[in-house]
Amino acid sequence: MTWWQSLLGLFGLLSLLLLVGLPAGFAFLAINLVGAIVFLGGEAGLMQVVRNGIDSLTNFSLTPIPFFILMGEVLFHTGLAMKAIDAFDRAIRGVPGRLAVVAIVAGTVFSAISGSTVATTALLGGLLLPEMLKRGYHPRMAMGPIIAIGGVDMLVPPSALTVLLGSLAGISISGLLIAGVVPGFLMAAMFLGWIIWTARRRPDWAPSFEREELHGWARWRPLVVNVTPLVLIFLLVIVAMSAGWATPTESAALGALSTVLVCLVYRSLSWRSLVKAIAGTTAISGVILFIILGATTFSQILSFSGATNGLVGMVQQAALPTWTVLGGMIAILLFLGCFVDQVSMMLITLPFFMPLVQHFGWDPLWFGVLYLICMQMGLLTPPFGLLLFTMRSVAPREIPTREIFASVMPYLLMGLLMIGLVLVFPPVATALPGWLLGK
Amino acid sequence: MPVRLATAYATLMRACGLVAGVTLAVITLLVCTDVVGRNLGLVLFTWVNEVTEYALPVATLAAAPWLMWRNQHVRLDVLGALLPPRAQRQVDRVASALGLLVSLALVWYALRMLLDSRDAGSLVMKGLVFPEWWLYLPVPPCFALLALECARRVWRPVGLSDLSAAEAAHTQDTAPRAAP
Repeated sequence: MTWWQSLLGLFGLLSLLLLVGLPAGFAFLAINLVGAIVFLGGEAGLMQVVRNGIDSLTNFSLTPIPFFILMGEVLFHTGLAMKAIDAFDRAIRGVPGRLAVVAIVAGTVFSAISGSTVATTALLGGLLLPEMLKRGYHPRMAMGPIIAIGGVDMLVPPSALTVLLGSLAGISISGLLIAGVVPGFLMAAMFLGWIIWTARRRPDWAPSFEREELHGWARWRPLVVNVTPLVLIFLLVIVAMSAGWATPTESAALGALSTVLVCLVYRSLSWRSLVKAIAGTTAISGVILFIILGATTFSQILSFSGATNGLVGMVQQAALPTWTVLGGMIAILLFLGCFVDQVSMMLITLPFFMPLVQHFGWDPLWFGVLYLICMQMGLLTPPFGLLLFTMRSVAPREIPTREIFASVMPYLLMGLLMIGLVLVFPPVATALPGWLLGK
Repeated sequence: MPVRLATAYATLMRACGLVAGVTLAVITLLVCTDVVGRNLGLVLFTWVNEVTEYALPVATLAAAPWLMWRNQHVRLDVLGALLPPRAQRQVDRVASALGLLVSLALVWYALRMLLDSRDAGSLVMKGLVFPEWWLYLPVPPCFALLALECARRVWRPVGLSDLSAAEAAHTQDTAPRAAP
C-alpha cells in the first residue's frame, strides 16, 4: 500500500465514522484498531493500542487541563462571575453599544480566569443576552460579541486547549500560554472598536439607555471589590509560571485553589455550587481527555503507514515558498474548524504540521499562536462551531439559527486580520514570552 | 427497562462520575499542597507529580461511561441535521453498534494486555515501584460499561440533542454540552 493510499484510507474511514455520529474519541479508537491490524502487526498492535492509550494520558503536562477548567466552573456556579459582570455594567457609562461593550470587557476579564470557552459564552449569553434583547438591541449586535469573546477565552490564559496544543505539539506550555495574552487582548480591543463603530453607524442596532445613575464610590466599588480578586488570580497564575515558582500544572492548581478560596471569602461558595463546579469540570475534562486516549496510536499509525513521511516529504520536495505552505496549513485548519472539534483538529493535523514547522525553521511559539487563532475561529465558524451551538441553547427560540451564524461574521473577519497581523509581525505573539520567560 | 433496573443503572453511571470527580478534586489539593510546601522549603510529598500522572487516566476512564450516559461526548451532527428523524435514529443505531464493537475489542485486548503484563511480572520503576498491570486495571471495566451503554443505545437510539432521561432534570441549569 502506498503512503497516499494509506492516508486516504485512514482519513476516509475517520470521516465516515465521524459522519455517522460516532463520538470523536470512539472514532479515533476505531481507526486505531483497524490501523493496528493493518500497520502495527495485528495482535501485538492491538494490545499496543491499550498501552498507548494509558501512556497518552499518563502525562503531567496534561494535568493543568482540569485545573484551568475548574477555575471557570467555580466562578460560573458560585455566581462570583455574575457579580463581576454586574460591576462592569455599573462602571461602564456613556459608550455606544454599552451592553455589548460590557460583554466584551467582562468576557475578557472572565476569560483570564476561566479555561472553558463554553462556560464564558453560556454565562454571558444567559445573563446579558436577555437584557440586550429587552433593550431593543439587534440580535446580531447582541449575540456576536458574546460568541466572539467566548472564543477569545481560548487565547487568553488559563486555557485548557492551549495546554493540550503545547503537550501534543511539543511546544513549551508556559510559553504558549503567555504568548496568547497579547493576541487575545488585541482581539478583544478590535471587537470593542467594531462594536462602538457599528453602534455609532447604526444607533437602532444598540439603542442607548441609562440605568440608575450611580456616582462616586458607589459606581466603582463593585468593580474594586468583585473584579480585583479575579485579576489577582490571573496575575498569580502568570507570575507563578514566569517566575519559575511553579510549573504550568502547579500554577493551574494554585489558580484553581485561589478561585475556590476567593469564593469562600466572598461567601459565594456553597457545597452545592462546589459539587456542580466539580461535576462540570469532570465532564469537560473527560470529553477532552477521552479523545486524547487515541492520540499516541493514531500518530504512530500515520507514521508506520508512511503517511506522515510521505506527505511531509512531498511538501518538502515540492520546494514551495514558505508562505504558500503556511497559507495552506492555515486554510486546512480553518476548513477543519467548520466541521470538527478542536481536539480532533490537533490529532489530525499535528503529526504532519510539526515536522514541517521544524523543516522550515519556524518559531514553534509563533506557529502555536497562529494555530490557536485558527482553532479559536473554528469555535465560531458555521455550521458546527461549538460556541454557535452554545448560543443556540441560550438564545430565544424565535431567533433563527442563520441569525446566529450571521452575527459572528464580522468577528471571523477580525480573526483573519489577527492571523495576518501575527504572520507579518511575529513579536505580537513572541515578544511577551520572550520577555517573561526568555523564550 | 424496568424502573428498579434503570435506577440501579443510573446509580452505577453516577458512581463513575463521582469517582472521576473525586479523583480530580484530590489531585488538585495534592498538587497545591505540594507546590506551597515546596516554596516554603518543606518537602512534603515527593510522589505527587507521579501520582497525578497516574490519576489522570483513572479520572478519564471513570468519566467516560458517565459522559456517554449523559450524551456528552463530542459528536458531529451532520447527518442528524439532514436526515428525517426516523432515518436519523437508524444512523444513531449504526453509530452505537460501532461503539459497541470498539468497546468490546478494547475490553478483550485490555484484559489480555493486563494478564500478559502480570504474568511477565513487569514493574513500573520511577519514583514509585509497582506492578505495571495496575496501570491497566481501569481499562476493562471502563470499556465494559461503555459497551453496555452502547448496547442500550442500539436498542434505544439516543440523538445528539437528547439527554439521558434520568439525568435531564439535573442538568437543565448547566451548560448544554460538555466541550472545551
